Amino acid sequence: MTIPADLKYTKEHEWVRIEDGVATFGITDHAQEALGDIVFVELPETGADVDAGGAFVVIESVKAVSDAYAPVTGEVVAVNEELEDEPEKINTDPYGSGWIAKVRMSGVTVELMSDDEYNTFLEE
Amino acid sequence: MALEKPCSTTKMAISLRSELVLTDPNLARTPLWQEHKTLGGKLVPFAGFEMPVQYKTGALKEYNAVRQGAPGLFDISHMGQVRVSGSDSLAFLQFVTSNDVSKLVQGQVHYSALLNEQGTFIDDITTYKISDTEYYLCINAANRHNDVKHLQAEALRFDVSVADESDATTLLALQGAKAQATLQPLVNIDLESIGYYRFSEAEMNGVQGMISRTGYTGEDGFEVYISNSIAVGIWRQLLQSGAEPIGLAARDMLRTEMGYALYGHEISDAVTPVEAKLMWITKLDKGDFIGKAAVQARKAAGPKQRLIALKLTGRGIPREHYQVLVDGTPSGEITSGMFSPMVGGVALAYVKPEHAESGDLSVVIRGKQVTAERTALPFVRSNVRR
Repeated sequence: MTIPADLKYTKEHEWVRIEDGVATFGITDHAQEALGDIVFVELPETGADVDAGGAFVVIESVKAVSDAYAPVTGEVVAVNEELEDEPEKINTDPYGSGWIAKVRMSGVTVELMSDDEYNTFLEE
Repeated sequence: MALEKPCSTTKMAISLRSELVLTDPNLARTPLWQEHKTLGGKLVPFAGFEMPVQYKTGALKEYNAVRQGAPGLFDISHMGQVRVSGSDSLAFLQFVTSNDVSKLVQGQVHYSALLNEQGTFIDDITTYKISDTEYYLCINAANRHNDVKHLQAEALRFDVSVADESDATTLLALQGAKAQATLQPLVNIDLESIGYYRFSEAEMNGVQGMISRTGYTGEDGFEVYISNSIAVGIWRQLLQSGAEPIGLAARDMLRTEMGYALYGHEISDAVTPVEAKLMWITKLDKGDFIGKAAVQARKAAGPKQRLIALKLTGRGIPREHYQVLVDGTPSGEITSGMFSPMVGGVALAYVKPEHAESGDLSVVIRGKQVTAERTALPFVRSNVRR
């Protein structure tokens, strides 16, 4: 299981990369492994406003339906449309081609952890 | 992400903390529990047992392995087995099961049901005819104790004994085109001689067991009843011969694609065979049996709801309990639903009888109406050997 050092993490097992006021978001390796084979992703609309901590993406694996929560407040400026046909990219490359959405930040974020803090959080 | 939301198609929650809650003293273990652990199986509570929902490669790869012939090896020892013996065995089974047991020849199996006086399902079962005075029933794990109590109570009026052999029996399913070739070297009989829904006694590792050409996947294959004493040995030998271990998640995908009913989903004590499209195992012309009068009355009055198969034409995955609309108004709900790698979103659902064949279908997914269409079963081609 990998936890890249250049990303921030949420307690809901999401990762965030913040660059120039835009937060790119996905789920962690640990989360994709716990969910199992992902077969469907319901993405938000580009232009939608999201609140930090609010459910805004639905991820369905073979057996479970799970919500993913927005790590930041802002406007959705891009979604990874490739996931509509290849949701398995979240399993195979959760920190890369399995990214989910980009949000232009206009307010608060949820509590974010470093890679070390997230690793400790997982072990607890 | 909320990873512990209850899953919708079965009661198999995938928990992030599963490693920490594995040892629940209230859950039973099959003789293969340690084998599942060693293989990296993700163990979950299921019908009172701790069972593998998937192994390391994941449900989709396991599903593909079975459809591609692997064969897949399933531990289904949670299921129950009951031996019925005595001079009244036939009369007893004619009375307590819905199918016509007099039609069975020695070495034949059929699908059947235990109904109550209301004509609804106590369980769905398979009945094996060993001889004129000995039969064997395979029953669902969740219903086992209820079934045995019911059968033993009814047996008091017949010259039969009803023995629950579940705890001593390991049941394996080996499914997929290569099942016969993989199993043949381990047994002392010619598997080619066992036809579809036929069975034979066989010796494996020096111990007598029973093998039927039956299954729950739509692929050719066998169900193998063996003594717990040889369970680990046979399991390992089959894996060494190329079988892939398959968990409950893939098993549910395989059975749903075939449209096979699952107790607690399509069938329950709330529906009769008239609703569940199981009149083919309910023989009203065979003499009296428990539930017959109620089923006859329901048949005459017409079903309260009807089971249909549907396929989404819009995007999404239909799941158990999602509402089904016909012409925009509520008509029923999904009993089993899934993402089929071959067909997409497919489901079985109960709808109002007048909607079984006509009206525009949609499924409500998170508040949105997603269009669907009726389809024939099975959802994908069956490869069972007929």
